Amino acid sequence: MGLLDYVTSHSMDEDYAHVSGRKPAGGASKQPQAGLAALVILGLFGLLVATAAVQHSRTETVSESGRSEIITQIKARSAQVDSRRARIVEMRDEITTLETQFLETTNEGRALSTQLSRLGVRAGSTAVTGPGVRTVVDDAPDAISEQQQVLDKDLQKLVNALWESGAEAISINGQRLTTLSAIRHAGSAITVNFRSLSRPYVVSAIGNPDAIPARFVETQDGSAWLDLEAAYGLQFDMTSEESLTLPAANRLDLRHATTPENLR
Amino acid sequence: MIAGLGLLVGIILGLMLQPDVPLWLEPYLPIAVVAALDAVFGALRAFMDGIFDDKVFVVSFISNVLIAGLIVFLGDKLGVGGQLSTGVIVVLGIRIFSNVAAIRRHIFHA
Repeated sequence: MGLLDYVTSHSMDEDYAHVSGRKPAGGASKQPQAGLAALVILGLFGLLVATAAVQHSRTETVSESGRSEIITQIKARSAQVDSRRARIVEMRDEITTLETQFLETTNEGRALSTQLSRLGVRAGSTAVTGPGVRTVVDDAPDAISEQQQVLDKDLQKLVNALWESGAEAISINGQRLTTLSAIRHAGSAITVNFRSLSRPYVVSAIGNPDAIPARFVETQDGSAWLDLEAAYGLQFDMTSEESLTLPAANRLDLRHATTPENLR
Repeated sequence: MIAGLGLLVGIILGLMLQPDVPLWLEPYLPIAVVAALDAVFGALRAFMDGIFDDKVFVVSFISNVLIAGLIVFLGDKLGVGGQLSTGVIVVLGIRIFSNVAAIRRHIFHA
């Protein structure tokens, strides 16, 4: 007999038939009565059902309220982060203003101030402006494979080729490159200075706009990029600009590195 | 009639007391309810058939609940808890449906 047939044909406990078969013929004709035991068991059943229902609805409300609580917390905390970030920018501006004010009071200070801004240009802590080239790179149109996309190592090659061609300052999508900058993949996006970038990637480089494009194609990484463009259809467009302005980098905190004693 | 009263008292008691179920017992509660439901419908059908017996009902109810709990427990230990519970619920569900069909035949004589 099939399992399903068996289950349907034996849906009622066979014991009921057994017990009634054992009873004397006189008693079997009488309508059976549910006794105290059945009453207690049914009460137990009702208790079980009610408890299960109460328990279920209780855990549901707990998880529901927990989720909305977490969402509120996330919103509050990210608002806090935003306001603190704004405060950091504000205070940094204040520091710069005070610093310049203080340095401008003495001759020595003025010399220091000039040195500071010159070093700032190199370090990336000051915004810079000047002529240069703007390079716009992007994935191949309807890219399918990873090779048709701009990867972190492609951007690294591009930046290296630009440094090699005589660039003095570089920023990618408004993120200024410093000695502490890394260009890397995080998830599906490329991050620079711990900020995720979105396509297309605009690489601005300050330097001699006439010399850079010519030198660029002569460098190893530059020619690698031209190969990428030819072989995989990556989009690459370099234009000379009369005037470019690169912003200052956000993070330039050195926590551990200091000057050695004998060089001070 | 008197049995229905017992059911009502049980439900009201459960809603009023709202007993706290210990955490280790919680996964067995839903399947215990389904198993108990099967025993209750079987009893109702036996009642309609005129072969109801108190003792059989008590034994079938308790053994149903215990075995259902045991199967879930075993399944949890073996790592097939979900599948075993599904199997138990399918079989009990089929039984409940065919019992209810028999009860319906008694009530409507059709």
